[in-house]
Amino acid sequence: MFRRSVSFLMLLALCAIPRIAGADASSDLVEQIVKLLSNPDREFRAAGLEKVRTSAKGAAQTQAFAAQLPKLDDSARAALITALGDRGDAAARPAVLEQLGSTNEDVRAAALVALGEIGSASDLAVLLKSLTSASGAEQQAARIALTRMRDATLVKTIAAESKSAGPQLRGKLIEVLAARRATGELDAIIAATTDSDGGVRTIAMNALGQIGKPDQLAAMLPGVLKAEKGRERDNAERNVAEVCKRIDNEDQRGAALISALGTIDAGQRDELMPLIGRVGGRRLIKFVADIATGDDASRRSVGIDALGKWPDASSADTLLEIASKAKDAAVRRQAFLAFVKVCANRDDRNDQQRLERMKQALKEARTTEEKIAVINRTRTAYDVESMRLVRPFLDQPEYCQAACETIVELAHQRQIRDPNKAEFDSVLDQVIKLTDNKELIERANRYKRGETWERKR
Amino acid sequence: MLDQAFEALKKYDYGTPISELQAIEDAVVASHTDAAVRQDLEKRLIAALDSGISRDAKDYVCRKVAMIGSPAAVPVLSKLAASEENSHLARHALERIPGPEAAAALATAATQLTGKLKIGAIASIGARRETAGVASLAPFLKDADPAVVRSAALSLGTIGGAEAAAVLQPAIQSATGDKTALIDSLLQCAESLLNSKKTAEAKAIYESLSGDQQPRLIRLAATRGLLACGAKAVES
Repeated sequence: MFRRSVSFLMLLALCAIPRIAGADASSDLVEQIVKLLSNPDREFRAAGLEKVRTSAKGAAQTQAFAAQLPKLDDSARAALITALGDRGDAAARPAVLEQLGSTNEDVRAAALVALGEIGSASDLAVLLKSLTSASGAEQQAARIALTRMRDATLVKTIAAESKSAGPQLRGKLIEVLAARRATGELDAIIAATTDSDGGVRTIAMNALGQIGKPDQLAAMLPGVLKAEKGRERDNAERNVAEVCKRIDNEDQRGAALISALGTIDAGQRDELMPLIGRVGGRRLIKFVADIATGDDASRRSVGIDALGKWPDASSADTLLEIASKAKDAAVRRQAFLAFVKVCANRDDRNDQQRLERMKQALKEARTTEEKIAVINRTRTAYDVESMRLVRPFLDQPEYCQAACETIVELAHQRQIRDPNKAEFDSVLDQVIKLTDNKELIERANRYKRGETWERKR
Repeated sequence: MLDQAFEALKKYDYGTPISELQAIEDAVVASHTDAAVRQDLEKRLIAALDSGISRDAKDYVCRKVAMIGSPAAVPVLSKLAASEENSHLARHALERIPGPEAAAALATAATQLTGKLKIGAIASIGARRETAGVASLAPFLKDADPAVVRSAALSLGTIGGAEAAAVLQPAIQSATGDKTALIDSLLQCAESLLNSKKTAEAKAIYESLSGDQQPRLIRLAATRGLLACGAKAVES
């Protein structure tokens, strides 16, 4: 009996040896890493941080690393917090939370981002507060954390919070929902498309543009109508068009939009014509062309405007026909300018095809304004022939400035300028002599020297 | 077909369509599972190498010998290894032919040749990654030509292991010029030791390179190595 007990104790001791050896090895490694964390050389610190991310697993080790935080300078501290976040061990959470009180913005921002990896739903309040804090870095960090945080209930909580929050926070929360691709919470986003705050509406529309599904098309339209005309309306239309694009078949896309329009009050439907133009497609051309050539004069303008916003040149012939047959000068003008605009679209056609359309437009143009519009838009056909088409207008004072601008824009395209350098140098010399626009002169000189030019934003 | 291809090989030169030699390609693949066919094909390739075919044809044959060659091909390859034109592809074959004959041929070439050909032969000993190559490389660490020393050091690093490290360490101590290649190679040895779970030996090397007297980048590499040793120890 005694001998058996001794054997058992010996076996127990043997089993314990590797574990003790392992613990020693781990504490040696932790010691090595800790020493590196305070190294004044950044690259040595980085070597240590890399191991914080990947090695010496275990809560005790994590706490040993986290305990170094108060001993480090701000830059090293921010780096260690980031590494602890990447390590993904919640044992570092209390130490990281403490760092939110740091006087250094980078440290606070790093702590917020780290909470995205090691925090929990209980940190939501602090993250929401930081979303609207004064510091841009902290706002961004909180957004990242809320986007990354793995918590099954988080998305629902954010959606609920977005309904009661103030406009600034509401917008930020919708951005987070979009970034998390929270397709289960689209109702909350759709509700925000008709918010009283324009900023929130725009964010909600952008979110739907990213994650919305064709099923939501009808629900998005009130948001388009609520959007203020101008930039906000344009943005809303673009996002609805993005959702439409998720339907591959062109005819089905058109049908889905027409069906969604059916849910809108007839009196408001015309306001959505430009949106139809953005979506494009054969089926919708017919739908809009009927309105653009119908008996109701007030609706014609809306229809022509929609055809002018077509994403490609497929509405060009319809527009030219409307322009040619128009008896009213204003209708002619609107249709012709829209025709030139769609002809110049940089769509799937090649530059020669675009140029042919511009030549056709030039033949059809009747007034100075129409010709200037064609000269201006010819810049979208990147071909040396475009320059040759426009060049004669340099000698006609009423078209000279438009021609100068188009020639300089064409010269910006190195692929057509370089193989025809002598011809471009000569025409750019003409532009330099003729124009008063200092920017055009500077650009012309740069292109002659083979330099490029950065477009001002 | 194969006979035709060997006939075509006699006229093969830069710019000739490679398709004319397709039958040789096919034979190399087919010989993979048939020792007799392989032996026969090798004989024909060796005979071709010993004939007056063009430089490009010899290069082509060397590539095939690298795939199916045996010690029987070593003598002809040794001859070519001494020629400026064909040395590279001949060594390419010698690096891959199994057995001590090819290793011995490279060791002899490294001793007898000069200049770039010598450096190439030294590099090829390393490319075989045989511990036995360490002994033939060690003397070159004392060579007067720094390029030879560098090539030998890099070859030792490629071979790796404790034997190569044991040769490199004293060479580092006694070297007076640029030690970068020697130290790089020693670090490679430490890495190979670490990969084969000889953590204690690897750690000893890294520790020897982590002192303040070492340049910063060496210390950094050694520090990373020590951390890797620490992590390995925890894993095991």
